[in-house]
Amino acid sequence: MFALSFVILGGFVLVITNQALRDQILAFSATDIAAIRDGYAHEGVFEAREVINQLMASPASSGFYLLQQDGKVLDGNLPVMTPRAGMLEMSASGHQVLGTGTFLAPGLYVFSGSDTTRLHAVQAHLLNIMLGLFAAALLLAVAGGALVSRGFLRRTDAMATACRDIMNGNLTLRIPVRGTGDELDRLAEAINDMLSRIAALMENLSQVSNDIAHDLRTPVTHLRHRLERAQADSKSVEDHRAALEAAIAKADEILGLFAALLRIAQIEGGARRAAFAVVDLGALLTQMRDLFEAVAEEAGHSLELTNADALTIRGDRQLLVQLFSNLIENAIVHTPQGTHIRLSLARDQTRAVVRVSDDGPGVPKDEHERLFRRLYRREASRSQPGYGLGLALAAAVAELHGADISIVGDAKPGLVVQISFPRPEKA
Amino acid sequence: MKILLIEDDSETAAHIVYALDGAGHDVTVCHDGLQGLETARAGGHAALIVDRMLPGLDGLSLVRRLRDEANNIPALFLTTMSGLDDRVEGLQAGGDDYLVKPFAFPELLARVHAITRRGNAPSAEPVRLCAADLEIDLIRRSVHRAGKTIDLQAQEFRLLEYLMRNMGRVVTRAMLLENVWDLHFDPRTNIVETHLSRLRGKVDRGFGSELIHTVRGSGYILRAE
Repeated sequence: MFALSFVILGGFVLVITNQALRDQILAFSATDIAAIRDGYAHEGVFEAREVINQLMASPASSGFYLLQQDGKVLDGNLPVMTPRAGMLEMSASGHQVLGTGTFLAPGLYVFSGSDTTRLHAVQAHLLNIMLGLFAAALLLAVAGGALVSRGFLRRTDAMATACRDIMNGNLTLRIPVRGTGDELDRLAEAINDMLSRIAALMENLSQVSNDIAHDLRTPVTHLRHRLERAQADSKSVEDHRAALEAAIAKADEILGLFAALLRIAQIEGGARRAAFAVVDLGALLTQMRDLFEAVAEEAGHSLELTNADALTIRGDRQLLVQLFSNLIENAIVHTPQGTHIRLSLARDQTRAVVRVSDDGPGVPKDEHERLFRRLYRREASRSQPGYGLGLALAAAVAELHGADISIVGDAKPGLVVQISFPRPEKA
Repeated sequence: MKILLIEDDSETAAHIVYALDGAGHDVTVCHDGLQGLETARAGGHAALIVDRMLPGLDGLSLVRRLRDEANNIPALFLTTMSGLDDRVEGLQAGGDDYLVKPFAFPELLARVHAITRRGNAPSAEPVRLCAADLEIDLIRRSVHRAGKTIDLQAQEFRLLEYLMRNMGRVVTRAMLLENVWDLHFDPRTNIVETHLSRLRGKVDRGFGSELIHTVRGSGYILRAE
């Protein structure tokens, strides 16, 4: 490719210079002829010969001249030729001559030309220069290419080595990035992002296994204690029945915990996104208010919904219901009587923002982050029913919807959980 | 009632047979999907309880085939999967209800009774439901008891309608949550109890007899006696 383009370029330059040089020769001879014609016009043949001799004698002259009358040479350094007007190219006395001829009068012919060997010499010189350039360029290209590809290979080798090391268990390792932003860097960055995501998922997974291993032992141990006590202490049928009922309730609690963990894992898997449909948050929150208003009142709380204008997002209705239920139930369960719970819906250009707030005692700021963790239970709420999965599930549902869930504001007054959903772009 | 149970896990099957037997039902058990399909085709059963995962032929395909053959035997799916879409898939395949293992006996019994009732339901949708002196008009969405008009909120009306459609049969908390509120998880607050108590306050309080009763450990029942 490189050579071909060089040949085409070289050929082009040669043709152009050849043409330019020939044009120049012809221009010279035209000037000479004009001078001779001028001499002849004023003073006749004698003056024309004078002009020719002067031209031939000029030190800069490399020209060939001929003045002939009726087939006989009058003057000049060329043999007799067949007179022809216009541009001529001929071989004479070992030279290649290019020039122009013209008739001064019938039978009186004049020719002026130059040796084109000089032209060829220029061209040959040019060709040499070009060949030299070509060789140099070729050398540079090959050497540069070798250098570049050596760098490229070294970097891909480094990437392959890093990949192998990661495969062998060094999961914190990342592909080196040079920071030049070239293709290899971009590839390395993409791979690194992928590795980070995988690492996060794996950490998540091991976290879940740990949760199950450690936290499930507690309720199962409690169940065992309860059965042991029943076996030892139960005296009557009534005692046995009560003990069995308590044991069944405990078993149900453990099963519920399993189900909740599984559901979170399933939501985090992301497969539910396929079931997304248009959901009206205003209507959904109205439904939540209707569902929980009476429950809140029974618990001595009040629940109000401010602004339930239609505002649609894309989402999974069932999961959103569970998300809001968890937040509202948290507010009902974890706050003292008389707490006021408020649901609100707001919007801006790109987001739909739902807030579940209460004016209860709230949660200290340094605990906010931990609240969304699986099986995290505050000291203060350990006596309450629940597994510490409500907010973890809420966070999983929010993430599935591309929403940000966070605790905003401080504990004065109460707790404010905000979920900010992206709004679908209007077509 | 003769019930066909198709379940490959023998311990689970024995457990279910024990529960249904105790409630006075006669259970045939198949441990394999194809054998189950043949038995169901032969007829003579009032309801079908079928596991989703079976050797030979899976539960979904089994029920789908029966429905293709215009066999409308009431079918209840059992599954160990807690998949969120599983329920929808089961209903789409032609199942009448869906129960996730493990479940409590009362839950299973209540659901089996509910689907067999559906199987015998008159083809035309009723306009009016009555229980003793209580009457609800499904078109006007109005409620009367002993000649008095009772004002119900939309949710209370749906709750009463569901109880009346299942008159004489126990409905569980989970059934109410699913069918009245479309909630498919176990809430931590007493949603069902609260709404039922409010409904009772309007429908039962101040009238001679109570129609809505609590069945301890199972759920609720609306009885007209």
